Amino acid sequence: MKRDLDKVRNIGISAHIDSGKTTLTERILYYTQRIHAIHEVRGKDGVGATMDSMELEKERGITIQSAATFCNWKGYDVNIIDTPGHVDFTVEVERALRVLDGAILILCSVGGVQSQSITVDRQMTRYNVPRIAFINKCDRTGANPYRVTQQLRDKLNLNAVMLQIPIGLENDMEGVVDLVTMKAIYFDGDQGDELRYEEIPDRLKDEAEEKREELLDAVSMFSDELMEAMLEEQEIPEEMIHAAIRKGTLSLELAPVMIGSAYKNKGIQPLLDAVNAYLPCPLDVENTALDLDNDEAEVKVSNDPNDKLVALAFKLEDGRYGQLTYIRTYQGVIRKGDTIINTRTGKKLKVGRLVRLHADEMEEIEEAGSGDIVALFGVDCASGDTFCGGGLNWSMSSMHVPAPVISLAISPVDNKAQGNMSKALNRFTKEDPTFKTFVDHETNETIISGMGELHLEVYIERMKREYGAEVEIGAPQVAYRETITKRADFNYTHKKQTGGSGQFGRVGGYMEPLEDGEYEFVDEIVGGVIPREYIPSCDKGFQASMKKGTLIGAPITGVKLVINDGSFHAVDSSDMAFQQAAKGAFREGYAKANPVIMEPIMKVAVEGPSEFQGAVMGSLNQRRGMIVGTFEEGNYTVVEAEMPLSEMFGYSTTLRSLTQGKAEFTMEFSSYKQVPKSVAEELTKAFQAEKNEG
Amino acid sequence: MGYEPLVNQNPLRVLNLGRGSKQLGLVMARAGLGKTALLVQIALDTILRGNRVIHVSIGESIDKTRAWYDDILQFILQDHSVSRPHELIDMVARHRMIMTFKEDAFSRPRLEERLNDLILQDIFRPNCLVVDGFDFESADRATVEDIKEFLESMSLQAWFSATRHRNDDRVSPAGVPAPCHEVDDLFDTVILLKPEKDATIELEIIRNNGMAADAGTGLKLDPSTMMIKEG
Repeated sequence: MKRDLDKVRNIGISAHIDSGKTTLTERILYYTQRIHAIHEVRGKDGVGATMDSMELEKERGITIQSAATFCNWKGYDVNIIDTPGHVDFTVEVERALRVLDGAILILCSVGGVQSQSITVDRQMTRYNVPRIAFINKCDRTGANPYRVTQQLRDKLNLNAVMLQIPIGLENDMEGVVDLVTMKAIYFDGDQGDELRYEEIPDRLKDEAEEKREELLDAVSMFSDELMEAMLEEQEIPEEMIHAAIRKGTLSLELAPVMIGSAYKNKGIQPLLDAVNAYLPCPLDVENTALDLDNDEAEVKVSNDPNDKLVALAFKLEDGRYGQLTYIRTYQGVIRKGDTIINTRTGKKLKVGRLVRLHADEMEEIEEAGSGDIVALFGVDCASGDTFCGGGLNWSMSSMHVPAPVISLAISPVDNKAQGNMSKALNRFTKEDPTFKTFVDHETNETIISGMGELHLEVYIERMKREYGAEVEIGAPQVAYRETITKRADFNYTHKKQTGGSGQFGRVGGYMEPLEDGEYEFVDEIVGGVIPREYIPSCDKGFQASMKKGTLIGAPITGVKLVINDGSFHAVDSSDMAFQQAAKGAFREGYAKANPVIMEPIMKVAVEGPSEFQGAVMGSLNQRRGMIVGTFEEGNYTVVEAEMPLSEMFGYSTTLRSLTQGKAEFTMEFSSYKQVPKSVAEELTKAFQAEKNEG
Repeated sequence: MGYEPLVNQNPLRVLNLGRGSKQLGLVMARAGLGKTALLVQIALDTILRGNRVIHVSIGESIDKTRAWYDDILQFILQDHSVSRPHELIDMVARHRMIMTFKEDAFSRPRLEERLNDLILQDIFRPNCLVVDGFDFESADRATVEDIKEFLESMSLQAWFSATRHRNDDRVSPAGVPAPCHEVDDLFDTVILLKPEKDATIELEIIRNNGMAADAGTGLKLDPSTMMIKEG
């Protein structure tokens, strides 16, 4: 297959909820002729937009899963990853960002840069994703793309530069003026598919000139040629401007701003042109893998189709025909019938059906080249796995997966639900690394855990809808942890003589807090006072003890264990005996090491009208929050705070009633911190009571 | 507290500046010489003595302001071993609140409202206010007087920063340069930062607690931390 890699765009569309992402995607697919009719997100026709493939998404009007879609615009292959718009699903967003080369950041021309946009933008910066901003909904009352552009500069610190100005706003929006070509563009026809280029209307000429100057000033930083041409006041060729914008965008030092209204079919085609012109192709982006045969040394992937295959499975979906695995290839070619290796499991597998996706519909293909995004059928793997061909043993650098912070117990309502529930859980845990499930052996309950209340709610809903598994849910539980705060010595002898061979082992040493890390085991035994073969037994015993603390039964983290003394018995010592001795030693040391309870602290940002700032700060303060800072702009305020997760249950309701529904908040995991004494006492008491009952 | 030795290199400690509860201070320099760093040092000095500070940042983001504290704390931690650095960082965070305003959103009534929000609900009671980025050029005397009066009524110590401009030679009779030459008498302490040839910063005290300072009270500071340069 012949493909120019520089004509491939892997892009994401990221945005605040309700800024019109799905509508925009829908329009893009229409103009690129992948679909032949336009459906609205909350369409009257009951069909729903094509990208929101899950029932639940259709009902809530939000997009939860990122579906990948392929389309073609003016000879360029464009893969679009539709990314979720809610912060609770950031792992989905982050995973999608990992495989993207560039992105469109959509903003609402009325709402502007909201806290969600800030979170999403921060993630894009983390993954070095160049982006174009698209200010949508310019037809809405109160639309002000200039203000939003200024917010991009102030709040996101982007070097935002308008490439267009609107011809009329709100109801009067007719089209846009392109500041590069200095032409007015109108979008005619029922679906805006006929573009009409005209002279700039007289009333906009001065503004267009002024904004073009701004644009040229900003982009001249990226092109000496352009700078020279400007100084010499020569006519500046369009290509030179395009090249400079592209250079600035790729280096993440410039964010071109486009405007329009997806709903009114305005400004979409120029946006697609901009995607082709300014966003990177796979060759522009440097990706690295880890060579598993060479101590995980970093290696650059080549993007060369003639090299051996390296592909990353970034998303799994359970379709009607089995598991669908979305992959992005980084080098080499994947063909139907090829044998490839999953480097995590070492298992070989054969490539069966290979498809390109358009949400619910798919197109069978024979092969996919480097830089492409396609899907495999019936391949058993987990998301984040790397596939290699030709004997390579590489892994795409592991993705940053945060530990779950909240959990709740679920129980099926009947036998039928029982089976379906386990099927569903099995699927979800494969799809989403932040969603975990296990059975608590003490209570025999199934526990699910994840990144937030909404995160878990969505899975419970999906269980019901997609798998017919009705479950009862318990109250959400915060994932507490225990840790120690000072060094403590231990010296414990495990001795048992109950007829037959006895058990004997003595373990001595100390434990101390580990600032960065969860667990470390250090063997400083000299002179064989504990025989070599029993050292791993001590490690095992300690690790087993770390699973459940004595304060509230939460897992223990941040402990360094050092053994430097011990004794054994030639006959009675055994693996078991030393494991028991280590457990005893741990108990002894732990009690003396001043153990404390830790709780997840979330970074919370509440934004809304300034008049409510006092009330918002009060509400955060009451919930044991620490207010980090406030930001004020006009009549709009953001309050940033660090909040214990346990205090955030039901906060959205509180906030709504405090602010007449005018404020909103986002929440992200920040760190684990020690709980205050009074709270710790309550937790311990509750744990003891529960223990005594059970 | 046990943290006080950490700020021994803090110029304010050495000069014994900034102890009065109602006093108003001013730090002046050209752009990029370390006004913000010095304000952060003033704030840290106050915090490590167990007091609370509100850092008002005009035209900056919360993240950027916080980064200043993190950076300077890192410098301090490099030079002094602290048994539990996390506790120190935590303690600083708990004794500091950042208030950022867009340039045109800052005014005395706004500030008053915000401080009242905090104090009346007992969320945060500051002892000291540092104000970075206040625009002295477009503020008239009445505005500054108004703010001073308000701060005095709250019994708050406060420090302001002001940017000097290269081609503005106006100076007050006391030797305070523009743009503060017409309001300098409102400040109890005025400090000027000047670049030196050996890449250090000289701290010149024009007025200390209302008294005109003798010449030659200058100290040499490390430009990255605004700490006194040793040796």
